[in-house]
Amino acid sequence: MHHAMLDHFAGRDTPAHRIAPAAKTLAALALILATVLVRRDHLLPFAPVAAALAVYAAVGRVPVSYTLKRLLIVSPFAAAIVLLLPFLEPGHVVWQADLGPWTVHVTDAGLARAAHLMAKFFLCAATTLFLLATTPFHGVLEGLARLRVPRVFVVQLAFLYRYLWVLLDEGMRLRRARLARDAGQGPWRVRFRSRAALVGVLFLRTFDRAERIYWAMAARGFDGRLPAPAVRKMQAKDAVFLAAAAALALAVLLLDRLLYG
Amino acid sequence: MAERVLELRDVRYRYPTGAEALDGVTFDVGAGEKVGLVGPNGAGKSTLLLAIAGFLPAEGHIRVAGHTLTASTARDVRRHLGLVFQDPDDQLFMPRLGEDVAFGPQTMGLGPAEVETRVAEALEAVGLAGYEDRSPHHLSQGEKQRAALATVLAMRPQILALDEPTAGLDPRARRRLMDLLRGFASTLLVVGHDLDLILRVCGRAVLMDSGRVAADGPAEQLLADRVLLESHGLELPPSLADRA
Repeated sequence: MHHAMLDHFAGRDTPAHRIAPAAKTLAALALILATVLVRRDHLLPFAPVAAALAVYAAVGRVPVSYTLKRLLIVSPFAAAIVLLLPFLEPGHVVWQADLGPWTVHVTDAGLARAAHLMAKFFLCAATTLFLLATTPFHGVLEGLARLRVPRVFVVQLAFLYRYLWVLLDEGMRLRRARLARDAGQGPWRVRFRSRAALVGVLFLRTFDRAERIYWAMAARGFDGRLPAPAVRKMQAKDAVFLAAAAALALAVLLLDRLLYG
Repeated sequence: MAERVLELRDVRYRYPTGAEALDGVTFDVGAGEKVGLVGPNGAGKSTLLLAIAGFLPAEGHIRVAGHTLTASTARDVRRHLGLVFQDPDDQLFMPRLGEDVAFGPQTMGLGPAEVETRVAEALEAVGLAGYEDRSPHHLSQGEKQRAALATVLAMRPQILALDEPTAGLDPRARRRLMDLLRGFASTLLVVGHDLDLILRVCGRAVLMDSGRVAADGPAEQLLADRVLLESHGLELPPSLADRA
């Protein structure tokens, strides 16, 4: 079975793909940090970040449709907050509507705030997205290890990534087996119960699989300590990339400072 | 018989539910021998593998590569026993194949250079040279099965124990695995229902039923004995049945 992979395009070979994972991970973190630190409610400091991301995506040949689709998938999280802001933020009223006993105002400050937050959100999401689209997941893990993220977290992520697909496959197989015998009639209680049972079975299978995985690990000498992930050495081009990212992050913060004095 | 790599004496195990899984299993495997362990479902074949690796508290005497199995020697035993599980998704747990194959040698405390050599060697041996950076979920079932084999080959075990290695493989992948196993010089214990595989790969077959050894002998003879096989819920391997 095939799933939309997180690192679907990570196997390509472009200059963006060839940069060391650790450098890319660190660069992405720096960019996200700078983006988040921009004060409200200007949009100008975001321009260099957006431009840099666009160049990076073009070099890494990340398809535009793929990017938009992924951003759309995560956008509800931001939209829930952002869409309320124009109505809640006090400021100069630019539009209002009478809804019976209530009047709804949209303020200029609220709109600016919403645009600012939305830009922040999409830039951070796009940064992460492009990192994953140009770096195999194990590369991201390597990057995190290099940044001295505690090994248990890195290993936890590795297991999550490895077995998420296996679990999804298992769930899909169970669901199909249920649907294959579901004629669509009969008391809803029976059909609802079968769904609940599916979750239970999936849980039990996960439990069993965890035991088998542990055995397979123990059979190869696992004693509770996990080996450190292999970390490749950084090259000159990686250092240049990292320096460029750092400069960009600084430029964003500087721009922010200039605008606010 | 040559030097014994595996010794089993009266191995017994009862499941926590009370069901008798192993009811006094006794046999030896000599160095370089290739043994097929066959039997109907529930005969105790897979349970025996788990017992040999020290995962189940079995009674009796189990000795692997000169190490008598006890709670404290289980780790030494596993180091010499290359156990490959039936579902390669259980076996391959690291994000990259290279790391997965390196896992065993690393837990043996080998240095990075030696680990790297062993990884390359093991992947080469199973025809997956250059697959270090692939993630397991991008491999085909046949590749996964061979990759699982590589993960234990890298530890250079004295005995390879495989549980249903051809389960879920298409004929080509199965043929490939078969040729691979035939070419291995190491001691082999293959558990499974694929009697043709055992006939082609193993010189000796051990037939288990109800937790005991029901027959033990040259694979060619044992697997050609229709009456014996059928009395234990098995059939002649297709290659022999065609001839009859």
